[in-house]
Amino acid sequence: MIKTQGRRPSGVRGGQRHQRPGDAGAGLLFLAPWLLGMLLLTIGPMLASLYLSFTDYNLFDTPEWIGLENYQRMFDDPRYLRSVTVTAGYVALAVPLKLAAALGVALLLNRPRLGQGLYRSAFYAPSLIGASVSLSLVWKSIFSDGAIVDRGLGAIGLDTGGWVGRPEFSLPMLVLLAAWQFGGPMVIFLAGLKQIPGELYEAAAVDGAGPWRRFRAITLPMLSPVLFFNLLLEIIGAFQVFTSAFVIATGAAGGGGPAGSTLLYTVYLYGRGFVDFRMGYASAMAWMLVLGVGLVTALLFRTSRMWVHYAGDRA
Amino acid sequence: MRRLHAAAWHAGAVLLLIVVLYPVVWMISSSFKDSRDIIGDLDLLPAPPTGRNYATAAEGVAGIGVWRLFGNSLLLAVLSVIGTVVSSALTAYAFARVRFRGRGLLFALMISTLLLPFHVLIIPQYIVFQSLDLVDTYVPLLVGKFLAVEAFFVFLLVQFMRTLPHELDESARIDGAGHGRIFWNIVLPLSRPALITTSIFTFIWTWNDFFGPLIYLSTPDKYPLPLALQLYIDQTEATDYGALIAMSMLALLPVILFFLVFQRFLIEGVSTSGIKG
Amino acid sequence: MTSIKRFRTALAALLLAGGLTACGGGDDAGGDVTLRFSWWGNADRAALMQQSIDLFQAAHPTITVTPSFQEFEAYWQKMATETAGGNAPDVLQMDFAYLREYADRNVLLDLKKTGVKVDDLIPAFQGVGEVNGALYGIPTGGNTWCMFYNPKLLTEAGVEEPRTGITWDQYHALLDTVSKKGAGRTYGGSNYRSVIYSFESYLLQAGATLYTGGGKLGFSKQQLIDYWTVGKQYIDDGRFIPSEKVAQIEPASPITKDLIATEFRWDNFFARYASETEAELKIGPVPVTTAGGPTGQYLKPAMLLSASARTDHPDEAAKLISFLINDPQVGRIFGSNRGIPATNAQRDAAVLEGPALAIAEYEEAIAPLLQKAPPAPPKGAGTIEAAFLRIADEISYGRSSVPDAVDTFFTEAEDTLAG
Repeated sequence: MIKTQGRRPSGVRGGQRHQRPGDAGAGLLFLAPWLLGMLLLTIGPMLASLYLSFTDYNLFDTPEWIGLENYQRMFDDPRYLRSVTVTAGYVALAVPLKLAAALGVALLLNRPRLGQGLYRSAFYAPSLIGASVSLSLVWKSIFSDGAIVDRGLGAIGLDTGGWVGRPEFSLPMLVLLAAWQFGGPMVIFLAGLKQIPGELYEAAAVDGAGPWRRFRAITLPMLSPVLFFNLLLEIIGAFQVFTSAFVIATGAAGGGGPAGSTLLYTVYLYGRGFVDFRMGYASAMAWMLVLGVGLVTALLFRTSRMWVHYAGDRA
Repeated sequence: MRRLHAAAWHAGAVLLLIVVLYPVVWMISSSFKDSRDIIGDLDLLPAPPTGRNYATAAEGVAGIGVWRLFGNSLLLAVLSVIGTVVSSALTAYAFARVRFRGRGLLFALMISTLLLPFHVLIIPQYIVFQSLDLVDTYVPLLVGKFLAVEAFFVFLLVQFMRTLPHELDESARIDGAGHGRIFWNIVLPLSRPALITTSIFTFIWTWNDFFGPLIYLSTPDKYPLPLALQLYIDQTEATDYGALIAMSMLALLPVILFFLVFQRFLIEGVSTSGIKG
Repeated sequence: MTSIKRFRTALAALLLAGGLTACGGGDDAGGDVTLRFSWWGNADRAALMQQSIDLFQAAHPTITVTPSFQEFEAYWQKMATETAGGNAPDVLQMDFAYLREYADRNVLLDLKKTGVKVDDLIPAFQGVGEVNGALYGIPTGGNTWCMFYNPKLLTEAGVEEPRTGITWDQYHALLDTVSKKGAGRTYGGSNYRSVIYSFESYLLQAGATLYTGGGKLGFSKQQLIDYWTVGKQYIDDGRFIPSEKVAQIEPASPITKDLIATEFRWDNFFARYASETEAELKIGPVPVTTAGGPTGQYLKPAMLLSASARTDHPDEAAKLISFLINDPQVGRIFGSNRGIPATNAQRDAAVLEGPALAIAEYEEAIAPLLQKAPPAPPKGAGTIEAAFLRIADEISYGRSSVPDAVDTFFTEAEDTLAG
């Protein structure tokens, strides 16, 4: 490797540091388990699903090569197109709401207060439950006609009636469920907040910076890697949301009800693959999702250079 | 003034908690309702409360004792935590702190594994384990954890390790430390909040996982809790909603304990104990 | 077959990045045989199955049965995965709607080639698991499409309990009366016209079938348009309970919550419904188009037992199936859990009480009115059943006009049947 000696002080920008002797070997050593996992468990099945996406495969018979037919069919499939719109709506609503809740509560809980551990556990409790049949029973009860949400909204003059079984409210119910289980990103935010050296705040306080300045000038930039992580992973996760929709909004018609209002992408994909035995089509759907979300991911990584700061890269 | 501030903080936090915990309270109170009253009931409190659901749940399901179910779940969860933390930390260190050729490419490859919905991987993966004669063992459920297959955690740890100042390794390097020592003595202790986060998530996700055990386990004695929970449900015979919810509540206890114990370590970050460690 | 095998081997080789392929464990060395047996059902059924398996093992000391059981939907996902991996269980519980899905793809064993004992099956079940002359499943018990009703709600509305021979017109009048009386709290019934089995009995009454012998749709678009148009009319005029009220209490049924007075279902659901409500429920007739005309009811296998085509032990698998179908003690253990038993010996042995007795008495009473069961539905029937419900739902919610919905249904169904 040619060294750019003396051109620029080392480490001015992230990723520009020089490789040291022995790094390649060490890197490989540290990566060994992951590489093994990739080879054994990930790459093979991924390639297999890519191959299957170009075939007619019903799980039982030998896959039959049909080229791009599965991909072409998607554009004439009204249910596929609906699943794309429903999913886009879900991502657009659920991700910001959940992250806002997570960050807000994390900031609230970051200060040392009496009973802090208990508060933290209590706010995390909804996320411990996971999406189960039991939760679906509870969630429906709460949004039923005459239950707390209906009465609460009625009290402030918003008469919505029950939300359950109403196509216009069923996706919002899922969005609220996602936002309610904000514990995951909250814990990650908390861990990130803990990582910020206290000296920075002390210095800022000496300079006379108020809470808002401190938040803008220290918390946000120092938290940006974690914020980026949460944003990216929540988006990816929201595109693939399955269990909650599958368990809660089943309807009697194999998911996606009522009237197709919760036909999320992976719910449809699962139905095509495992209920209708169209695994070739399901695989093609999966790879279309990879393309779409991959694009979003790449875009986020691109823009992240402008707002994400890694102390380790800059120092 | 300071007191007033604290009181306002507590009032606000409690108010928020009431909203957030309302569904949880509903669930707990449902577990004390008569099984027939659970669906369609608009009252929060059971009238009159019954302990029968818990009695049923304590008997276990379908001849599988309740201790066995918890034991199976616990074994899977604990091994998963160990495997995930160790393998993800190693991998993340390589991506975050070691420079080598092809790193960017491998990193992109790792991120790309996050994008594919798992449903289409189920059958190819099943074929792999089937041909290795490992179906109906815990190996398919665990081996991936020890091989850092869960890119979520690798990426999470990478993000944290990248924020650690480089001066730390520089000075260690001057003292003659290699990657092994830097990893063990500096980066790992400083990454504690992220490692704890990884442990908590892995524990909960494994504890609640249904699809993996469904596909790979056949012998009822090996079932973890989520598989057993489904056995209260039936189309034509009675579904015992009461026992289902009671068992869900019992299943929550270990996770709550796990979180209560481990969240304390989240408090101790870089600013307090980390640097000294 | 060999090409499937080759595909799997190739895939395994690819996945393992060359080699390591272990070619099936050989556990059939000695005289002892292990059978894997999977079924769907809840904990109650698991306990009954285990008792039966214990009896079987006592009678066949060289055979060990390892059980596996899941809830219905989970069962089918696991079954699909195992089958795709070439690892289907030796003996498996089968649903009538999926029989051809698996049989047509050579997953199931032709039981005629084994010594399975089927001569004691009641006449209605002789040959019911046959596809193209091969026998792929043996019914364990049967059920019939019927009406459940709540006598108390009917009496309160001043309506008589429905009797055999009630016509659809009379039934619809009943719905009207009960719903008007219920004033938005209780209704006459739910939208039975969104359920494919109601449509099937309507077709059978008219001398048609859901599917032709050649595996195509056996009815015209116009027939479905007519059927769904009336359904839409009854949603709009309030005879049927609104869909969102049904959704609120899912997975419970509105009849168990005193919200409706009548509902159409397979009669084996009666056990569940009776246990989930304090109200007294009864089993009643399916209305007919013309008084004295055919009811369109038939005895359907509630579930069947099949064996995997790839089992190493076809004879032992057949022994297990024969035992579970014929043994009187097994009949006594299960009662009506697998439907009213399918063989005479088990019918005689079963001690029925409560809801199970009500089902048995009902089936006995309507036996003379039953028609011959249609052939096993073509592959894709499960998909079509779900599509029927889902698309009818779109009409209920006013998201689709009836003719559009029918077009959508035909497109999807024909696509499914073609594939």
